[in-house]
Amino acid sequence: MGTDVDVKGKGSGLLQGVRDLDLILRGELTRPASLRNGRVEIAPGRLSRVIVVLCMSYGLCMATFAVFSRNGPALGQVVATMIKVPLLFYLTLLVTLPSLYVFNALVGSRLSFSAVVRLLVATLGVNVAVLSSLGPIVAFFSVSTTSYPFMILFNVAVFATAGFLAQMFLLQTLQRLSMAQTLIEASPEAPDAETPSAIRPLSDQFLGRHVKTIFRLWMVVFGLVGAQMGWVLRPFVGNPDVPFTWFRGRQSNFFEAVLHTLGSLFS
Amino acid sequence: MRWTLFHQADLVLRGGAERDGLTWRSRLAVVIVFGMFYGAVMGSYGGLDADRPWQMLYSALKMPLLLSAAFLLSLPTFFVLNTLLGLRSDFPRVVRALVSTQAGLTVVLASLAPITAFAYISGIDYQPAILFNALMFGAASLAAQGLLRREYRALIARNPAHRAMLRAWLVVYVFVGVQMGWVLRPFIGAPGRPVQFFREDSWSNAYLAVWDLVWSVVG
Repeated sequence: MGTDVDVKGKGSGLLQGVRDLDLILRGELTRPASLRNGRVEIAPGRLSRVIVVLCMSYGLCMATFAVFSRNGPALGQVVATMIKVPLLFYLTLLVTLPSLYVFNALVGSRLSFSAVVRLLVATLGVNVAVLSSLGPIVAFFSVSTTSYPFMILFNVAVFATAGFLAQMFLLQTLQRLSMAQTLIEASPEAPDAETPSAIRPLSDQFLGRHVKTIFRLWMVVFGLVGAQMGWVLRPFVGNPDVPFTWFRGRQSNFFEAVLHTLGSLFS
Repeated sequence: MRWTLFHQADLVLRGGAERDGLTWRSRLAVVIVFGMFYGAVMGSYGGLDADRPWQMLYSALKMPLLLSAAFLLSLPTFFVLNTLLGLRSDFPRVVRALVSTQAGLTVVLASLAPITAFAYISGIDYQPAILFNALMFGAASLAAQGLLRREYRALIARNPAHRAMLRAWLVVYVFVGVQMGWVLRPFIGAPGRPVQFFREDSWSNAYLAVWDLVWSVVG
């Protein structure tokens, strides 16, 4: 698929988006040489369409539990979850984008606003690709398990795995972005012999101080808002003992609930 | 035909250059034939009277189903993980290694089948029979892991990142496989219970069942 780069710009939007996502996953778009313009070269809108489709496919897998619930299938839950998973990611992005950009500018990074948007959408792409690839396993467990707490915790673990890999991508790409610019200033011909990998560090690099600070700030902001957003948008899985509702009451928070679920699983 | 199948099984075990010439179809054939053989022996616990041969047939069908379903469910995750680590170009090789391992697993299982049959004939009880089969599976999995490591040696030499992927595969595949085996029960067939393809109460969670078992022993 090495010719994909050449046909860029042709083809239908969704297919092109899938190609873009593939290039991101393979690390082709985050090679030091590809980052010379100080940003990940993607079209955020086009990639977002693919992200939404993948989110909906994961939503479907997640809602399989409600379909095979012992009190009859809750099809409303399927529709709700398929809408809510994309909403979860994009609302979180919307809420945190201003503060992420401001922190980034404060710390002294040279990323422009559009570069920040592109970077975050690419990270979301990695997150969602891992998430939807775990979808079949989630669907299988949803079909064969009757325990509601187990499914909740399993989904939390799956989201955490996807989030962790996306974080590694974000950290590496931030580092390469900052490095690409210094490299260009030092020597316009950046060395590019290594085979690309989206999440492994390049051999000759150590993390810059700016990169670490920005990364930590972003993780705290995005992680906390994202977890709470997931809590506000619940139910995703659908408690079999409770009739279907679009939203639940606005009490408690995500972290308290995970502890509570752990408790109810082991009691 | 039969001899070529044994020849293929032999190649799977021995590895080497000649094995790389094996086609996908012959690897798959090894998985299905040898898997079904062990499944049939495993399902022969209840004897051969009345409707018991059906249990053998069911178990024979379920064995390749178990292996291939767990394999197919784990593959998408593994594909994305490999891509993220920059190992996409090696992926066809990786899948070949994984399929060969599955084939090797079934060959080892099939070679253990006479021992299982012998244990059944010596009049082993039902609960020990379960443990005995678990032991056989454990032994076959260990052997298969050795095969997988051998297959991966060349890959790791190409790119050390494959080492992490080998571990990731074992974690994901075993996690899915255990639940798949649990869902596809009964394989052995308790003597007092009717012969069926699925148990109605089998739609539960293996990990929670184990947890309950541990809890009832400890608590």
